[in-house]
Amino acid sequence: MTNKKLLHNTGTFLIFGGPSIFAFFAVVLIPFLFGLYLTFTNWDVRSGDHTFLGLANYVEVFQDKTFLTQLWFTLKYVLFTVIIANVAAFFLAFALTSGFKGQQLLRTGFFTPNLIGGLVLGYLWQLLFSQVLPYLGKKYGWALFETSWLTDTNKAFWALVIVSAWQLIGYLMIIYISGLMSVPVDVIEAAGIDGANGFDKIRKIILPLTAPAIVICIFISISRSFLTYDLNLALTKGGPFNSTELSSYHVVQKAFLSNEYGVGQSEAVVLFVVVAVIALTQAYFLKKLEVEA
Amino acid sequence: MKRSKVIILGICMVLVLSLLAACSKNNNTSNEAAASSEPNSSQTSKEVKLTFFNTSAEINTVFENLFKVYNQEHPNVTIELIPTAIGGEQLQKFQSLLASGKPATIANLDAGTIHQYKDKFLDLESEKAKYEGLALPGAVDGALLDGKFIGVPYTAQGYGLLYNKRVIDEVIGSSFDPSTFATRSDLEALFKKIEAAGKAPVIIHGADWSLAAHYQGLAYSLQSNNVEENRKFVEELKQGTVDLSTNQAYNGLMDTFDLLKKYNARKADPLVADYNKDSADFAKGEAAFYFMGDWSWAVIGPLEGRDKDFGIIPVPISDNAADFGNSQVAYTEPKLFAIDNSGSTPEQQEAAKAFVEWMITSEASQKAIIGEAGLAMPYKDRKVESSNPMSSAISKYVAEGKTVNIGVINYFPSDWWSKTGASMQKYLVDKVDRAGLTKEVQDYWKSTAGK
Repeated sequence: MTNKKLLHNTGTFLIFGGPSIFAFFAVVLIPFLFGLYLTFTNWDVRSGDHTFLGLANYVEVFQDKTFLTQLWFTLKYVLFTVIIANVAAFFLAFALTSGFKGQQLLRTGFFTPNLIGGLVLGYLWQLLFSQVLPYLGKKYGWALFETSWLTDTNKAFWALVIVSAWQLIGYLMIIYISGLMSVPVDVIEAAGIDGANGFDKIRKIILPLTAPAIVICIFISISRSFLTYDLNLALTKGGPFNSTELSSYHVVQKAFLSNEYGVGQSEAVVLFVVVAVIALTQAYFLKKLEVEA
Repeated sequence: MKRSKVIILGICMVLVLSLLAACSKNNNTSNEAAASSEPNSSQTSKEVKLTFFNTSAEINTVFENLFKVYNQEHPNVTIELIPTAIGGEQLQKFQSLLASGKPATIANLDAGTIHQYKDKFLDLESEKAKYEGLALPGAVDGALLDGKFIGVPYTAQGYGLLYNKRVIDEVIGSSFDPSTFATRSDLEALFKKIEAAGKAPVIIHGADWSLAAHYQGLAYSLQSNNVEENRKFVEELKQGTVDLSTNQAYNGLMDTFDLLKKYNARKADPLVADYNKDSADFAKGEAAFYFMGDWSWAVIGPLEGRDKDFGIIPVPISDNAADFGNSQVAYTEPKLFAIDNSGSTPEQQEAAKAFVEWMITSEASQKAIIGEAGLAMPYKDRKVESSNPMSSAISKYVAEGKTVNIGVINYFPSDWWSKTGASMQKYLVDKVDRAGLTKEVQDYWKSTAGK
């Protein structure tokens, strides 16, 4: 009897879970493990053979000074992108749940950038930064925009952050909206009667009650911005003079342009570990802030 | 409960593995089928499917239409285009095709890339004599890689200082004759006149490929008229036995670069590097000169309201008119057709050889490549005249034997232009001085020693 039930359960599970598990194995787990194996070899597309090297590739990763400075650069980029995107998304969501006319339309509008591919988005903003803004800057004498942001090492960094945050905001906003909608209205009303002002309401009631949404949003924004590649390629191509190469861009250049596949792949693994550690630690600590209504 | 989880996991694993096994089995059978069809290759009616990897992204559609024409003439051969994007991840795509064991039958690649993957391509030595008969003198020699013929050149390109004839004619008040013109001082005098007339003298395109692969590439090519000598020079650079800072050609070239920098129309923000805008501004007469090559015709040709007459002069490197480089334009056969030898059947290879010959010789393909795309083909029997005045101007230099062969860059590491291009960009915006630039370039070469 229990055997039959088990068989039945397994069947049901396979019908619903099977395809995803297969996809997960085929495009995530197996390539990942194979990639991990390749980091211990001197694999090269041109020759196709691989001999075992041990940890030599990893040693080279930590001697690759550009990789380390770019990892640091990426950390800064992620920090600013995550903060700007989340703060903006939270307040947008807050404004767009207050119940005024046309908020549905605005929600759609803010979500749209997320639907545009990173490459297209990058080229659009590139035109904006390198042609449109300098044109306006010269016309109206705004010193800030007179030269292209993308040709100055500092401004190019901020250009990357702004565009990435702009792309992320809509997506995070949707999650925050659903988080905010689940905050019971009576609790807020009760707090109002007890004399709490708007700021208190946000800090003491809304923020704790939307903590699950915050955890998810920060997790998503960290992992997504660490792996930014298409925007980087389309917007700055790593320039001016390689100063805005994010880690994943560097990895691709290392592997495919410099033909150092093993080292590139090892750098990708190091990047994976860094992302995993940071994203999981933040989730662990923020989860503790969650409360029940 | 625990046991059931283990069982479920086990079943999933079996399922996944069996699917993978099924995939690999499929692969085997298709290989067997391919192998068994070998003896039957005499059957001409057999369907052959070829794939064509294209890095000349600006003419993807031109090629696609040609493949249809070829299919009409040869119904048993179908060719599928594997397109790439302009400035996109072309090399990465090629590598992943190769690594996945499904390489394209024919690849249109940079000569340097073919050299790096030379073991993967078919040796075309048996075809060499035929192409030597068809090609302009020196064209097949120029396409040899390590002395071997593994890629068929289909286009020839030149670069240097393109000029807009109308702008210069208006400034000097007579018809501009480029042959009167061979030294850096000549160029500087003209730049001064142009600037005094209120026009911008020159546009430097600030992208790394233009600054390194083209401008700096000249420094290695100007060492000698012989590609092998130039290769030796670069080997010595890697070993650190020659010093660029005292090298005449390099310093001459960089002195000219200083001059171009001084009169650069993009001086306010040199690194913007918008290829379409730079080309269009030049074509509309906003600048008299433009450091670029005849390929910019793809942008300039269809432009509305552009000027009509364009020409090219070499980049002068000294004040001695007789120095090598002052009257020679850079000339190269940048893209070659190579045939895969790592995953294609002999049948496909034979069909590919026939197709490549058709691409070079047929009227339809010449009309498309020369007429539509505006490229120059290094072959004698041309059935169409080019509409591109820049490539016609370069052809004159070629006919007079006044060219700098930049074939040496085919042997450079593939990250060369991106890494030293960054150094050139720093020099362009005065982030480093000459000594700093030279050091960065030399350090790059030393870092590649032994690789």
